Amino acid sequence: MTTAARTEESPAARRSRRRKTLVAYSFLAPNFLGFAIFTLVPVLLAVALSFFEWNGGDISRIRFVGFDNYANIFNVSKVAEKGIGYFFNRVDLGIAMKNTVFYTVVTVPLTIACALALAMLLNKVRGAVVLRAVFFFPYVASMVAICVCWSFMLMKNGPINQMLMALGVNYNKSWTADSTMAIWSIILVSVWRNMGYYMVIYLAALQGVPRELLEAATVDGAGRWKQFIHVTLPQLRPTTFFVSVMMVISCFKIYDVVAIMTDGGPGRATKMLVTYIYDEAFAKIRYGQASAIAMILLIIVLAVTIIQFRSEKKFSAD
Amino acid sequence: MKKTLALVLAAMMMLSLLAIPALAEDQVLKIVTWDATTTPYLDAQKAAFEASHPGVTIEYIDVASQDFFVKTTTMLEGGDKSDIFMVKEVPDLINWVAQGFAAPLNECVAASNYDLAGFAGTEQNYAVDGELYAIPFRSDFWVLFYNKDLFDAAQVEYPTNDITWDAYAELAKKLADPEKDIYGTYYHTWLSAVANWTVADAKNTLADGEYSDLLYFYKLYQDLEDAGACPAFAEQKAANLHYKSSFYKGNIAMLPMGYWFVSSLINDMASGECTPFNWGIVSVPHLDGVPAGSSFGNLTGAMINAKSENKDLAWEYISWLGGEEGSAATASTGTRPALATDSVVSVLASVEGFPADDNSKAALKPVFVGMEWPVVDKVNDIKSIVNEVHTQIMTRELTPEEGVEEMNERVGDLFK
Amino acid sequence: MEQAFHTKAIHRDNPAAHRILKAVVYILLLAMAFFTLIPFAWMLFSSFKLEREVFSYPMTWLPETWHWENYSLIWQKVSLLTYFKNTAFIAVVVTFLQTLTSSFAAYAFAKLEFRGRDALFLAYIGTIAIPWQAYMLPQFIMMRSIGLYDTLWAMVVLQAFSAFGVFLMRQFYRGIPTDLCEAARLDGLSEYGIWVRIMLPLSKAAIATLVIFTFVNTWNDFMGPMIYLTRDENKTIQVGLRRFIQQYSADYHLIMAASLCSLVPVSIVFFCLQRYFIEGIATSGLKG
Repeated sequence: MTTAARTEESPAARRSRRRKTLVAYSFLAPNFLGFAIFTLVPVLLAVALSFFEWNGGDISRIRFVGFDNYANIFNVSKVAEKGIGYFFNRVDLGIAMKNTVFYTVVTVPLTIACALALAMLLNKVRGAVVLRAVFFFPYVASMVAICVCWSFMLMKNGPINQMLMALGVNYNKSWTADSTMAIWSIILVSVWRNMGYYMVIYLAALQGVPRELLEAATVDGAGRWKQFIHVTLPQLRPTTFFVSVMMVISCFKIYDVVAIMTDGGPGRATKMLVTYIYDEAFAKIRYGQASAIAMILLIIVLAVTIIQFRSEKKFSAD
Repeated sequence: MKKTLALVLAAMMMLSLLAIPALAEDQVLKIVTWDATTTPYLDAQKAAFEASHPGVTIEYIDVASQDFFVKTTTMLEGGDKSDIFMVKEVPDLINWVAQGFAAPLNECVAASNYDLAGFAGTEQNYAVDGELYAIPFRSDFWVLFYNKDLFDAAQVEYPTNDITWDAYAELAKKLADPEKDIYGTYYHTWLSAVANWTVADAKNTLADGEYSDLLYFYKLYQDLEDAGACPAFAEQKAANLHYKSSFYKGNIAMLPMGYWFVSSLINDMASGECTPFNWGIVSVPHLDGVPAGSSFGNLTGAMINAKSENKDLAWEYISWLGGEEGSAATASTGTRPALATDSVVSVLASVEGFPADDNSKAALKPVFVGMEWPVVDKVNDIKSIVNEVHTQIMTRELTPEEGVEEMNERVGDLFK
Repeated sequence: MEQAFHTKAIHRDNPAAHRILKAVVYILLLAMAFFTLIPFAWMLFSSFKLEREVFSYPMTWLPETWHWENYSLIWQKVSLLTYFKNTAFIAVVVTFLQTLTSSFAAYAFAKLEFRGRDALFLAYIGTIAIPWQAYMLPQFIMMRSIGLYDTLWAMVVLQAFSAFGVFLMRQFYRGIPTDLCEAARLDGLSEYGIWVRIMLPLSKAAIATLVIFTFVNTWNDFMGPMIYLTRDENKTIQVGLRRFIQQYSADYHLIMAASLCSLVPVSIVFFCLQRYFIEGIATSGLKG
């Protein structure tokens, strides 16, 4: 694979290699230029910006402040005085972190469970193509349309509450207006929207489970449940790993559903890291502080990804 | 399958070709404003100005009112060259001035001998260090709207121009009828709808760093919400309801709201957007010891973009807008102009669709109008703190006492 | 896997048990399908109702009378056509640029050898894990300073060079035998020729996947347009719809009608091409 130069290379070979490299770069250039300018450079700038204060206006107003932005978002002086509980209950960043983590921790397993269940069921039946499309459809449907529809359905007099009432559950409030239920309504919509997508991945993975293994288990007299636990699940582990990494990353980026359904409310009950970044950056125009929060998001996502990769390696090694 | 793909893409391609914008004409004045399609006075102003200035076309650039400040500031920061930006709230302008986005106007005022006396000093809200940066053209103060039909049905006397907040709360509870889905009163989700009343005493402001004066109003509100006399804040916030749509439904007996709502109400009843019912206005309630007819309000103005390439015409427009002719156009739609000439009140009261009773006419003359937000140092930071804590109080994340303490503490921290 | 102890397995040849199981599977599936489709059904029915009918108590599914005029009303109140045109413009240009540049770059990564290839590819992959929201602000400031704020082109350059496209195409190209390229090289074809004559024709399925992916993502993108687009004439369908919702917040029936309209184009694309879409996810997902 490596193209390390060899010492005994002839000038002709070197020339041809150089030409090859040029050709390769010409293939890369169009995408790489765009990628470098609009992704790589901003990533580096984001890191830098988090150490500056810049509250809009001309670039000349920018001022280096070291770690001040970080001290501010963590509200270090207050937290030192009042303890860590103050951070998670009163400081914006603490609340946003708490909400985002809660959302992720509930949404990921729930979505995986639904996706896997759907895939297992669909794997068995005829007419799967139509149903597969049905389950998948929410994923392509316009975000704003489905979110506004769900928030209507979850309103005080909406159909969901009325159905619940028919079942004997009297919940006479809008879900998104209730500070405990608001985050659950966001979880509900997320699971509903994404389960079809991950179902498709599981369906494909199920094709890869060797038939012989399943049959061997049946011959051994394993019930369907045991067969699922001892054969199917372990075989699906690489997929589950992949799916959970993708999903954790996307959960930490949650914005659309929150912005449309609750706008971070009621109060700060559904304030997420990204809604916090958005507010600081575009509503309050505190670029430095927004970048510091963005760095926190980046660090969390990268850390989670690395931990997941590590533990997967450990698992596979066992 | 391939054919379908090709067809779909071809169709999309055709559509996208249509998206190329039309070419602009000469002498176009670009004005950035909010809700351009649903604000009657903008049409009236445009028509009047274009009629008296042939060859000039006014083009409104419409920005959603909910994020007007955010979006316009971004436009200005990006070097947008639109000539005029409407000033929705005073602190917005102060912010723009600090960033160097607003063109100074003193020279224009002097050069054209422009008479500022008619603004009765309110234009000073738009001045920073003695330099004027915008001309006010609209001045609103808050009044109490009420639905006469609901009062009649409940056989309750109409409110008058002199009632206290306690009496108002009594009225609201009397009129509320959960069975029929009728609410006694209605608070829009803004901070101003609940807390701004404190500035009507001419002493307090929302930026003075001391918020115990808000306690009374938060408790008043929570009492009404608990009694079912007004819709719950959290519900309204969740539904993202516009107060217009709510009042139009005809099940809200009273609504404290800015005077600008008169114009929408008259217009939408005329156009059928809102099913007509009988309504009136009175002065907002007052605290004991504060004179009846005291209220708070806000100025709306227009500033010239420092990057405008058309500054002369822009000055011509905003000076016209704030002057006699512009004010007449504004008033013709039932909106209250900033220019406080004697004729203004009678023009407003004679607009077709304005309630005919004497109390409504009398309510047009407030005895005192405090500024919604004063122009002080760090007003935007204070504003965002007070707004945040306000939401926490309204959703009962904090009790009013805790909230007030939090406001005092956090605003205090700003000036350490 | 020692399962010697289990004696009570459901016997495969027991037809009754088998049939019951099948029935349970179908019932569960139908229940899930119901749950999945219910919001769409509710949206459809509500869009034909009167405003007061939408939240009537007790609830009714079907409108009393079908108010078709709701649909003509929304076209007067909101410039849906403009939004559609803008969205289509962005989606088409992004899809075109994205597919072209990433298949080009992917060829280099998959079939050419050059110094720094692996490091560069790692940089590409690495950015897939970096949330866009972490660097959207500097990106925004850059774009604004070059005058792209509130233009459709901002949305184009924002999305046209994603690392994901390169990754997807590279995975596919690696599956094409290198011998094919070697043979072509011996025949005197240049690398560009190989890309045009061999790689492109062979990668139709991957391109179809990428096209649909990009198209749907661009169409449904919300946060980008929310940040970048201000004027009504520049809005995409997502932010335009949100604007409409904010303005007519209590006209539930009209909001539902407008929402339904926003679903139509993307639904057509999806149902025509869902096979490519689903297969694309299955393959790209598995190889990750």
